[in-house]
Amino acid sequence: MKGNSMIQLLTRGLLLVVLALTACGPAAAPTSAPPAQPPPAQPTQPPQVVVVTATPAPGRSTLVVALARAPLSIDPADHRSRESETVIRDMYDGLVTRDTTSGVHMELAESTQWLDPKTLEIKLRKGVKFHDGSEMKADDVVFTYNRVIKENAIEYPQAHTSPRKGLISPLVSIDKKDDYTVVMNFSGAWPAAMQMLVHQQIVSKAYVEKNGTKGLIEKPMGTGPFKFVSTKTGFEEVVLERFDDYYGGAPDLQPVGKACVTRAVFRVIPETSTRIAALLAGEVDIISEVPPELVNTLKQVPTVQVKTVAGTRPLWMEMNVKQAPFDDVKVRQALNYAVDKNLIIKKVYNGLAQPLGGPLMPINNFADPNLKPYPYDKDKALALLKEAGWTPGADGVLAKGGQKFTFVIDTLDATRSLAEAIASLYRDIGIDATVRIWEYSVVQPKLLAGERQAYVGDWGDSAFDPIGHMEAKWSTYVKGSTYGRGNFSGYSNKRVDELILAGETENDVAKRHAIYNEAQKLIYDEAPAVFLVLPEAIEAASSRVQNWGPASDSRENLHDVCLK
Amino acid sequence: MKAVKILERVLTTIPIMFGVAIIVFFFMRLTPGDPVDIMMGRGGAVTEREIELLREQFNLDKPLQVQLWYFLRDAVQGNLGYSYVRNKPVLDLLTERLPATIELTLGALLVSLIVALPIGILSAVRQNSFLDRSSMAGAFLGISMPGFWLGIILILLFAVRLHWLPAQGRLSYEIQLQEITGLYVLDSILTHNMPALQDSLKHLVLPSITLGAGVAAIIARVLRSSMLEVLRSDYVKLARAKGATEWVVVMKHALRNALIPTVTVVGLQVGVLLGGNMIVETVFGWPGLGRVVVDSIFNRDFPLVQGAVMVYAFTFVLTNLVVDVLYTYLNPKITL
Repeated sequence: MKGNSMIQLLTRGLLLVVLALTACGPAAAPTSAPPAQPPPAQPTQPPQVVVVTATPAPGRSTLVVALARAPLSIDPADHRSRESETVIRDMYDGLVTRDTTSGVHMELAESTQWLDPKTLEIKLRKGVKFHDGSEMKADDVVFTYNRVIKENAIEYPQAHTSPRKGLISPLVSIDKKDDYTVVMNFSGAWPAAMQMLVHQQIVSKAYVEKNGTKGLIEKPMGTGPFKFVSTKTGFEEVVLERFDDYYGGAPDLQPVGKACVTRAVFRVIPETSTRIAALLAGEVDIISEVPPELVNTLKQVPTVQVKTVAGTRPLWMEMNVKQAPFDDVKVRQALNYAVDKNLIIKKVYNGLAQPLGGPLMPINNFADPNLKPYPYDKDKALALLKEAGWTPGADGVLAKGGQKFTFVIDTLDATRSLAEAIASLYRDIGIDATVRIWEYSVVQPKLLAGERQAYVGDWGDSAFDPIGHMEAKWSTYVKGSTYGRGNFSGYSNKRVDELILAGETENDVAKRHAIYNEAQKLIYDEAPAVFLVLPEAIEAASSRVQNWGPASDSRENLHDVCLK
Repeated sequence: MKAVKILERVLTTIPIMFGVAIIVFFFMRLTPGDPVDIMMGRGGAVTEREIELLREQFNLDKPLQVQLWYFLRDAVQGNLGYSYVRNKPVLDLLTERLPATIELTLGALLVSLIVALPIGILSAVRQNSFLDRSSMAGAFLGISMPGFWLGIILILLFAVRLHWLPAQGRLSYEIQLQEITGLYVLDSILTHNMPALQDSLKHLVLPSITLGAGVAAIIARVLRSSMLEVLRSDYVKLARAKGATEWVVVMKHALRNALIPTVTVVGLQVGVLLGGNMIVETVFGWPGLGRVVVDSIFNRDFPLVQGAVMVYAFTFVLTNLVVDVLYTYLNPKITL
């Protein structure tokens, strides 16, 4: 979305300026005397003015959430987008759910038990009702999972396989034991099973068989806290209503019971400035994807609350390890030392990010806490570069054998400012780095073919488990396979590959930690990437909204939210 | 006779639509980027088999000529294929969003004509007056103001500051409306739904002004210059000499002839408005076609892009036809 993001950038800037310019309302307090000392200049801070007051429509009992993008589908088995999941999970519950801080909890499942490393028995909660009043039983669970794992199980608009199959690929079959017990059979030990079951929501067998997939999309029906009411123009608006017979949700997660608000609406407002304007105008109550540079301004508005949570999209600058100068590990390490992550967090992310200490994001359950982020150390970077043969030339640019150290950092428009900040830090130590902006679909094949030099980009890790992430990002690239699908540095280490494979089937948590710790340390030391930052997800809401908070995996848990 | 000619012209749009679609078919496949890779996103687990199945499902594993043959074969039968990313028939996706785009286009056109016609006429009649100079300066401003900028300013002023108009969307969620044509204003009138009519009109105002500003400026300038030319012509002098009032001279003798080039420009602008309002749709969260098409280009959602281009080609040809028909009314000497 290059053009689009450019516009967003300009309009955000505009929003800041206009908010500041129109700040001459009655809110401005007269100053009696000039301050004794002028405050220090803060060139990068947005104007510190209270401008507008959000005015909620009086007595509105409907909760309105503004999303940046429309869900692509609202069939729990037929999508691969976060926005879809965001909306789906307020209408449908899964066997288990996840809380940002406390991990996996039972939802429609009452308990789970591993009969052996490949077999999982799941006891279902009794008396759970679908929105049509029928009871959820083992048949529904079996049907739901078969719809995902069986090939061509979804018949509309043409027979096709669920795009969510890959999320639970080790699941071979699922059997009903009795009305309230199912057994899942996996192809091998699969330690990430519980984390991955979070992403599958249960549909009613009878309902889907009667109405088909088309009927399910047109009128979704699940066991979740909200019933579907209506939708407009390709899910640009989805209206939900409280399900009064809701079983209460995960018993471990407070509050338990039916939802607090009676009606909830998801609306799509793609433009950031408009989302914020709609919040300030009182048209919506919660907005997603607030850019970090607007956080300070929004915090000044008394009727708006801003909350953040660690996101799940870590960022790296991957270097093409098969090409000079990045084929030298010392150069790669030097480039890690040369980036001042704290400065970047402060200036680019307005303090709302954390540094990465290696290939996994710090909130991944298997991130090695002993790996500390490469510290910012210019001298060490220069020393390492000198060892690698790079010394400053007459013009201050590092050179080796008459060849200047110059390279291009490729990135997408969304991470332009990050890449530019890094490039300027490199120029600071005599490396001539420039930034080039691409569209992802164009640059991705070039990166996999090893045709580029360096790439600043992110990779989602919403399962909080190394599975799916380590294999895509850090194992050797095998064409057409899932291994190395996102490995843009060309990094390949036999031992790391072995460890990644071993980790996928090791059920013993301690051993699994040991496996991943070794892999992380190897990657950390060999540094195929400059480990950058994990930005926070930022959302804002009107102060009427209570018991609300953003989730790392973009879920909008409207069940808990109340309106004042 | 005229009806036959119009029908002929409508029928010629069919090969044009297909021609354009075939060109787009090849252009989209020439651009780098694999739709299946993009579909799987940057994150999460995928299996090899899954990727294989997706290629099979969308016939991406077949040679290009076979894919083209499938596309043409289905298109002739009215099936434009399925969107890769949205898993929905392309025709459904287009028809559910086209009304929003048409409504916005009509709104913008109305705004631009209301603004441009009086300005164009008056500034020609009173050439070099203060009114002429200031309105032409305004027209320059209208042309140079980018849509996203004007849109945000209007939102901040009328939605956030004054609370007069809504910032986004087509209809408030609490308003019920039975959809018939998908044009909400028209549907509200058809179903005698006053609250919906008021609400949908309120939602239409800001996007229409934003989109219409640039067009108004263009129309005003074209109308002014053609009016100036016509006003100097002999038949206008004759009309004056006959003692016709200034009103009759300007509105009947001059305007009618000055409208011919103006209508051409308006016709072209309608095509531009239908195809190019992605920015305004984004700013106002307007669920139209433009946004989906741009998304589908980035997602390499080939069938959706092809379908949308066919719609655009059709509307362009159709508006040109309407313009040609209008000529014959404005100047009976012109035939189709």
